[in-house]
Amino acid sequence: MSAGTMLLRITSAATVLLACTALGFGQHTAFDLEGHVVDPLAHSSKVVVLVFLRRDCPVSGRYAPVIQQISKAYAGRARFWLVYPDKSDSAQEIRKYLTEYGYHLAALRDPEHTLVKLGRAQITPEVAVFDRSHRLVYDGRIDNWYADLGRARPAPTTHELEEAIQAAFAGKPVHRSEVRGVGCYISDLE
Amino acid sequence: MLHLRPGINSWLRDAGWTVILSLAAGAVATLSGKPARQASSAATPAEQVTFNHDVAPIIFHSCSTCHRPGEAAPFSLLNYSDVKKHARQIVDVTQSRAMPPWLPQPQKLKFADELRLSDAEIRMIQRWVEQGEIEGNPADVPAQPKFVEGWRLGKPDLVLTANKPLTLPPSGTDTYWNFIFPVPIQQTRWVKAIEIRPGDKRYVHHANILVDREGSSRQRETEPGAGFGGMEIRIESQVFDPDSHLLFWKPGTVPYVEPEGMALRLDKGTDLILNTHLQPSGKPEVIQPSIGIYFTTHPATKLPMLLQLENDAKLDIPPGQKDFVVTDEFLLPIDVDLLAIYPHAHYLGKDIQALATLPNGTTETLIHIPQWNLNWQAVYRYAEPVRLPKGTRVSLRYVYDNSEENPLNPSHPPARVRGGNRSSDEMCHLWLQVLPVNFDPARGDPRMLLQEALARHNVEKNPADFEAHYNLAAMLQSKEKIEAAIHEYQLAVGLRPDDAAANNALGAALVAANHPEQAVQYLRAALKARPDYFDGHYNLGFALAGQNDFAGAAEQFRLASRLQPQDANVEANLGAALAQLGDFPAARSHFLRALQIDPNQPIVKENLDALQKEMNSH
Repeated sequence: MSAGTMLLRITSAATVLLACTALGFGQHTAFDLEGHVVDPLAHSSKVVVLVFLRRDCPVSGRYAPVIQQISKAYAGRARFWLVYPDKSDSAQEIRKYLTEYGYHLAALRDPEHTLVKLGRAQITPEVAVFDRSHRLVYDGRIDNWYADLGRARPAPTTHELEEAIQAAFAGKPVHRSEVRGVGCYISDLE
Repeated sequence: MLHLRPGINSWLRDAGWTVILSLAAGAVATLSGKPARQASSAATPAEQVTFNHDVAPIIFHSCSTCHRPGEAAPFSLLNYSDVKKHARQIVDVTQSRAMPPWLPQPQKLKFADELRLSDAEIRMIQRWVEQGEIEGNPADVPAQPKFVEGWRLGKPDLVLTANKPLTLPPSGTDTYWNFIFPVPIQQTRWVKAIEIRPGDKRYVHHANILVDREGSSRQRETEPGAGFGGMEIRIESQVFDPDSHLLFWKPGTVPYVEPEGMALRLDKGTDLILNTHLQPSGKPEVIQPSIGIYFTTHPATKLPMLLQLENDAKLDIPPGQKDFVVTDEFLLPIDVDLLAIYPHAHYLGKDIQALATLPNGTTETLIHIPQWNLNWQAVYRYAEPVRLPKGTRVSLRYVYDNSEENPLNPSHPPARVRGGNRSSDEMCHLWLQVLPVNFDPARGDPRMLLQEALARHNVEKNPADFEAHYNLAAMLQSKEKIEAAIHEYQLAVGLRPDDAAANNALGAALVAANHPEQAVQYLRAALKARPDYFDGHYNLGFALAGQNDFAGAAEQFRLASRLQPQDANVEANLGAALAQLGDFPAARSHFLRALQIDPNQPIVKENLDALQKEMNSH
């Protein structure tokens, strides 16, 4: 191991963390709707966005057009995955949900919460943004549409997900205020 | 020989999407074997809390009514695994009191069907989660609540379904839509309950029914049955028929059966207008509401009335202002029982309070909502009627937050907001359902005294209040104080020179005061504003006939007849005008047509006989 590599590892904690998580993929895995094991960060030099959703979460539902629209705006440069962390969700149920809500995005089942841990998600809907070198650069809410459960603004006035995607493109640090989403706890599924 | 039906005028009701209901707002379902609330099962912090013993009774009583398949809530809470899947969320929303949705603070005057958890119940749920969400002994769990499927009150006597469904887009702002339900009855019927099935309950935030006895809402449809948009609507009525019932639906609402003697009158030709507040879900939704009507053979013997306190004229809220206060107060001119209360503001409303100061000086809180939320607005019915004697001062105090800190603020950055009907405008309304008591029936309808006191109060409070002048005029006219009525109608027309209803009413009042020559200009103004205005054509025909312009009168009655071919009075008057013009055969056919529509018209028979004699003598 050269000194240069050492230096890189020391200065980039997130990379180390990611490397560890990736190593763990053998035991804890996410699946596509055909049942194949999928690592959404593998084989991609694009910015990756994981969107965590619960089918039984009304806030997740209301965000569908927003998520679809943002993913379209960055198509080709950022790869979006919808992640369903409820282990009781079947592939068929998720397919039905995708059709109903007009999604054209790939979906993953994450029954072991591998991706939840990787993206540090706590609530649905939340997002995790990884830059081209697969560093987690942002995790948290999509925007501030919801002030609280039952109290939505007429329209969001901050746009954290889009800012994070643009920062990831530019290789700039993301201003992280650690604001969690408003919606449903992922930990309630454990 | 010309006998004409008197002129027509209308009462305006600022139906303000607020008005007329007969459904209770209470949210506790029809539970059979409803579990007792036993949150105080006196577990000390050291004791183990289990779902079966401690949490299930709370959930079954206060959550499952809506949190079950087919109901308004987004997921079910019917058993241990349902609740466990949302456990931390339930802790959060009960602690913030976002759930169950019950806005008023506890107070001395109790509401029916209060859906408020006690502090002990909230702590119990929290402790259960902290202790690891233990299921507990299966023997401890109360029976799962049983719910009535389908129509809650059984098969309705009459089911009306919206003609045309509304497709709600997947995204965008909240939608306010009105569905019109013509009621197919041939004679007056009495209604003891109306059940509203708003379509898919998950997307309808609330709905209420307005009673439109004159078909005045139909003109807002682009085509019959299409419905129309709008948050607040205005209903016109030709007779003193104050709104009296609060017909309201929100998630969890159980249809309210009116006590005997308080039935709602439905006449032939009445439309029920279902005003709905819809919220996009993320996917397209098709909303097709229906209404179930339950009749009774007992006509109304008790006549309640909806009293509206309001002060929209004072709503001029500068951007950024956090605590903008609006007040109004009203001195009751008679003894009443207060049955229900319905506060209404839009998205800037924050703290909403209403008080009653009795003549003996004591003050009671009628309602206090410290954190208003339009999405959970409701009608609140008192557990017992609240006696408010004559001389009681009812007051409201609403506080509005037009700052950036109010997340529901429709404008970002905040903008100046005034009173108005759009959801981005504000409102300051409080409806009280009151039943006059201790009155002498010989002295007339006690509701007239309430209505007049209210109209005078509103005119004094706000000389620019169009509806107050209009309704005061209608009140004076019904008391045959015609010159005073004309004065008030003139003030109303001065405020809204293009208002069809006000111009028509002024014209009708002038005709009634034997000034048909003065009436014509206002009736023409009414028809300019609304060319297909039946009342306007009818009254103009009447006014022209009063000036012996029978050709002009016949033309107007013909136009009226085209708009309402089944109106016997129009046919009779058209016949009379044609007779005056010497066109006897045409006159005769219209008289016969009038009698065909309604055989019981002595005046028409008299006219027909006179015409026959006239024709025979030639």
